[in-house]
Amino acid sequence: MATTACFMIVSRNDIPIYEAEVGTAPKKEDAAHQHQFILHAALDIVQDLAWTTSAMFLKAIDRFNDLAVSVYFIHTRLMLLHDSRNDDGIKTFFQEVHELYIKILLNPLYLPGSRITSSQFDTKVRALARKYL
Amino acid sequence: MANFLAQFQSIKSSCDHLIIAGTRAHTKEQKKKFTHPSSGIKSSCCICNLNFHHECFPVEDVSDLWPLVKKGFEERLPFKRACLNNKTRNPVFVEKLPAEYILTTDARLRSRFPHELALFWFREPYATVILVTCEDLDEFKTILKPRLKLLVQNDEREWFIVFVSKAPPHNDQATKMAKKVYAKLEVDFSSKKRERCCKLDIHGLEINFWEDLESKITECIRNTLDRRVQFYEDEIRKLSEQRFLPVWNFCNFFILKESLAFMFEMSHLHEDSLREYDELELCYLETGKHRDFGGMDRGDDHAALLNPGNKPLMQIVQDDSFREFEFRQYLFASQAKLLFKLNRPFEVASRGYSFIIGFSKSLVLHESILPFCMREVWIITACMDLIKATASHYSDGLVAPDIEKEFYRVQGDLYSLCRIKFMRLAYLIGYGANIERSPANSASLSMLPWPKPAVWPSVPPDASSEVLVKEKMILQATPRVKHFGIQRKQLPLEPSVLLREANRRRASLSAGNVFELFDGRSGFNNGSGPELRMSPAPKAHAIAISRTNSTPGNFESSIDRPMRLAEIYVAAEHALQTTISDPDLWKSLSSLAEFEQKYLELSKGAADNYNRSWWKRHGVVLDGEIAAVCYKHGNFDLAAKSYEKVCALYAGEGWQDLLAEVLPNLAECQKILNDQAGYLSSCVRLLSLDKGLFLTKERQLFQSEVVRLAHSEMKHPVPLDVSSLITFSGNSGPPLELCDGDPGTLSVTVWSGFPDDITLESLSLTLTATHNADEGIKAIRSSGATILKPGRNTITLSLPPQKPGSYVLGVLTGQIGQLRFRSHNFSRGGPADSDDLMSYEKPTRPILKVFKPRSLVDLAAAVSSAFLINEPQWVGIIVTPINYSLKGAVLHIDTGPGLRIEESHVIEMERYSNTSENADCSKNDGCTVAEELTRMTLKDGRVELPDWANKITSVLWVPVCAISDGLAQGTSADSKTLLFWLSNPHLKFSALIDRTLAVHFTDPFHVSTRVADKCDDGTLLLQVILHSQVKASVTIYDAWLDLQDGFAHSGECDGRPTSAFFPLVVSPTSRAAILFSICLGTTVTKDDVKAMRSDSILNITYGITGDRALGAHTPVPMEPIGPEDAQRLTFKSAIVLQQPVLDPCLALGFLPLPLSDLRVGQLVTMKWRVERLKYFEENAVLGNNDEILYEVDANTEHWMIAGRKRGHVPLSMKKGSRIEISVLCLPLIAGYVRPPQLGLPRVDDTNISCNPPGPHLVCVLPPALSSSFCIPA
Repeated sequence: MATTACFMIVSRNDIPIYEAEVGTAPKKEDAAHQHQFILHAALDIVQDLAWTTSAMFLKAIDRFNDLAVSVYFIHTRLMLLHDSRNDDGIKTFFQEVHELYIKILLNPLYLPGSRITSSQFDTKVRALARKYL
Repeated sequence: MANFLAQFQSIKSSCDHLIIAGTRAHTKEQKKKFTHPSSGIKSSCCICNLNFHHECFPVEDVSDLWPLVKKGFEERLPFKRACLNNKTRNPVFVEKLPAEYILTTDARLRSRFPHELALFWFREPYATVILVTCEDLDEFKTILKPRLKLLVQNDEREWFIVFVSKAPPHNDQATKMAKKVYAKLEVDFSSKKRERCCKLDIHGLEINFWEDLESKITECIRNTLDRRVQFYEDEIRKLSEQRFLPVWNFCNFFILKESLAFMFEMSHLHEDSLREYDELELCYLETGKHRDFGGMDRGDDHAALLNPGNKPLMQIVQDDSFREFEFRQYLFASQAKLLFKLNRPFEVASRGYSFIIGFSKSLVLHESILPFCMREVWIITACMDLIKATASHYSDGLVAPDIEKEFYRVQGDLYSLCRIKFMRLAYLIGYGANIERSPANSASLSMLPWPKPAVWPSVPPDASSEVLVKEKMILQATPRVKHFGIQRKQLPLEPSVLLREANRRRASLSAGNVFELFDGRSGFNNGSGPELRMSPAPKAHAIAISRTNSTPGNFESSIDRPMRLAEIYVAAEHALQTTISDPDLWKSLSSLAEFEQKYLELSKGAADNYNRSWWKRHGVVLDGEIAAVCYKHGNFDLAAKSYEKVCALYAGEGWQDLLAEVLPNLAECQKILNDQAGYLSSCVRLLSLDKGLFLTKERQLFQSEVVRLAHSEMKHPVPLDVSSLITFSGNSGPPLELCDGDPGTLSVTVWSGFPDDITLESLSLTLTATHNADEGIKAIRSSGATILKPGRNTITLSLPPQKPGSYVLGVLTGQIGQLRFRSHNFSRGGPADSDDLMSYEKPTRPILKVFKPRSLVDLAAAVSSAFLINEPQWVGIIVTPINYSLKGAVLHIDTGPGLRIEESHVIEMERYSNTSENADCSKNDGCTVAEELTRMTLKDGRVELPDWANKITSVLWVPVCAISDGLAQGTSADSKTLLFWLSNPHLKFSALIDRTLAVHFTDPFHVSTRVADKCDDGTLLLQVILHSQVKASVTIYDAWLDLQDGFAHSGECDGRPTSAFFPLVVSPTSRAAILFSICLGTTVTKDDVKAMRSDSILNITYGITGDRALGAHTPVPMEPIGPEDAQRLTFKSAIVLQQPVLDPCLALGFLPLPLSDLRVGQLVTMKWRVERLKYFEENAVLGNNDEILYEVDANTEHWMIAGRKRGHVPLSMKKGSRIEISVLCLPLIAGYVRPPQLGLPRVDDTNISCNPPGPHLVCVLPPALSSSFCIPA
């Protein structure tokens, strides 16, 4: 399991619609800020890469010291800031979260592009993170 | 073989030297000259070699040919376009290949052992040009040819011969001879495969010669190059195969490989050269361990990755192994040099960045042996060098846009990397307080491990004063207070506490001692680094300072006790001073001002380059860092501008956590700049961020700022956009529906994002018509001040009449104090933008629908059957609202002629039930009726409808009396009209409901009479038939007949039938009859005729029992009277009785038809006889007494009449005179038909006696068959 992992779903307009700190490292108040900053900066790379590749899963598109940012392109972007090197696990994690996200999209009361507030989704994502990362 | 390194480098550098000397050619010149021993012989040859090219020229006799042709030869250097083969033997065109001619006698060639070392082959001449001249054939044969043969055989090099003819053009003899010699030369030295001779005519035209020469030289060079490349490759392959043997030596490999690379480089085959270096680097990295890392020399901290000649090769080799530190830099420098030559600065930058990252990892591995912070310093200098070099080589617009973008991106990365390392160094020497604790800086620095020297530097012995200065600096450093008093833990700039880290790495201390540093202060924990440093316990400082003051000398003993922070700073500073050799870099760290300048320069560089590369997020974040510095220096204008960019980025992408960091700074700048509009908008944005990002107290402060400014005198009041803070939407459910022209009230939900109640001085809302843009936008205003609670509020606005259409909410505007604000937002929660494919169009749900004019209410008569005339009757009016509220409506009633409304009486209104059964039920059920029956009074023809009748259908009962003056003539059923209109002073009807209702009033009976029987005694039985005309049962209590003159009641009775008949009940629409017995009375005299009553009157006293919901009923009691009287009504009807005429004055007889049968188409004469029975006085009035008018009446379909149908015939006035009238008729159809009738229009029927009467029908036969039609003519 990764000690540091910050998972985020970013909408097409680069708006974060879901974020979760899923690492095992003890929670630091300032970590969230830094992680957000790193993921936000990685969007610069994501926006460039999005047009050059047809692959959905791109591992370690950006590195920040020991941390890496991996991205899974769907119509939104699933972004993970992680320090683990378990690429397969990360890919599986993304695929499973993709499933969950589709279920959220199917909810007629969910407006696509708005913040995901479902606690069930949150619980499941955290469970997946424990399992795969 | 490492011994050759020195030689190798000197050869290389001598090449470099020549280049520098100004030839610009990377070549060496060697010149070899052969002179013939016998000076008498007019032949000579000269060989010119070059590293790349050689050329020979003719020498005039013994004297040099070279001076003669040198100018011509050298003028054509460098070669314009040379075709060479690259390593893969593909032709490559090299533009401007530089070369030099040297004589073979040149000292440089002579001093060298020929082919002594194949390794250095690359510097040998590439071709030999032999310059010859000869004017005599014999001489050629005997002397020149053997010498040439000798030259050519001994030389492995490429060669060719240039024959210089000096024969003047006018001397044919000499020219011929020269030609002959040249021909001989060609025969001897040229072969079919290869042309090795060419001829230069000094005095002649030389058009083709130079081209010929260049192609020959190029060919020679190509061949030589190919051969040499082949040789090197073979050698390299051999060495490569031995790579894993113990005898293998990297140095040899290096010399071969670099020789090859160098040769390529000289031939301008830079690509190939670069490839060789790449392979060399790979091979070096693959060979693994290198004994010594290097980097320990003075000046090594300054990166030399662009300077291949930084150190002589001999210095970087040790025991046949290259030191990694220097050698890798050397390789990169060589590559960079080639890339610059290839004009690919972008590649230098991008390779350089990767190199720096990779190399810094190597540095980490050897950090313990390197000087303190050597790695950081190296990276800083490497980045700066790289940036400078690539930027100077880079010119805009020459490369593809995406390359350009990438280039700037790499530059940005380099700047950014340099900036981070620079900050780290600055932090170590105590400038940390001046570094903004932004997420960017914090993320960069707090995840970057501290340098790990073997031993942390300790304080030099004589640095007590510096320590004091640092102590003071620490004390004076005031932590940056966040604006608005925001309480937020500051972000760290350090991976772990420096104090602990530094002391742990000192040899004499173990980690456990750290706690001593804090004098047992409790509450120390690992995560609170910044606080620890920023706000040390006063006690700790007191002790530290007092100790310093009392015994300044105790720093000497500081090795044994843990260092304090100030000491760490001083120690680091001293250590860095020894590490850093670059005076500029040291200067940047020498003072706070210098540090900030450099910091700003790096930040700006990074930001600019990122912005140019469209990495806006990277760029803008750095703009924020610049802004922080600007702010610190009081340059608020610039700071605000930069902060705005940062905020716009974060806000646009909805990264609220990051926005919450920066926005207060922006607000503060705007506040200082007195930019009220900006400041207000920032406060509003702060308020509209997620509630969890700020404490309630802070949010309240934001609000109070807004309110304070709003109520102050603003210089330039501008509308404030509060779309994110105050949002609104219509109520859920169907839209409000109104009719054209009606006012209404609109209820709107407004969410307030303010943490406290806020008072709005005014509030208005615009409505936009959905399908009619021309309509414009109308604002509706709420009256008075509104107080919005935090969260959801419901605001009710009164709505003036609107035009028909569907309306959606537009903009909410209002005022807080003096401040106008507006909000565009419909609802919360949705994404703010609409360009997302998946985001739905915000449904423009209409909030108000105004309908086009239509009938809003229906008025109808409740009863279609007739009412009693002359009696006050309840006339029912059904009022049906059609999907419309009649609240407050007023009904106006106007009567038509002959109608009167009993205004004194109450009007009743009740709920209308459609079926009569229901009506009965409701009657029985007293409660419901009582509830919904309202009594009202009519005032000036107006009545207000009660509230309960707003939406439901109701019946209004109005007492109306139809007045008919005349007596009923028996058959009339009067139709009277009532005029109604409905209006509403509150609801302004778009169209008044104006309705005319027809109401039937009638007498209770229709009266008809007949004489039932005529008795012998002259008594007539007069039957009066009463036909009930109302839908009510009428009870007849009494009836009598007032007879006209000339008639009298027979018997004793007073004109009444037998009283036992009464009361007689007549059911609705049924008939009853009363028999009166009358007789003819006395004849009146002529005088009385005028006074005579012409008709009899039937009087009936009756009562009526009916339901007003069905028709006629008991009249509305106007005054309280007894029940019995109330029921007694009187009905009078006039009856005309006529006395019979007993003796007619004319007799009309139909004469029998002459034929027995009538046939169709057969003429027949109808005859009538008219006879005067007596003298008829009445006719005397008319003029023509002696003639009468007749008229034949016949159905024109049955009969054709010939002759006059109408006319006068004379008839004498005498009694008994008679006349016959005959009319010719033609029957048209067969069957029984009515015959023509004769009438006398001017004579009353009673005076005509028909005798004999005419037949009613006659039989007409079909036409007889006519055979004549069948006979042929």
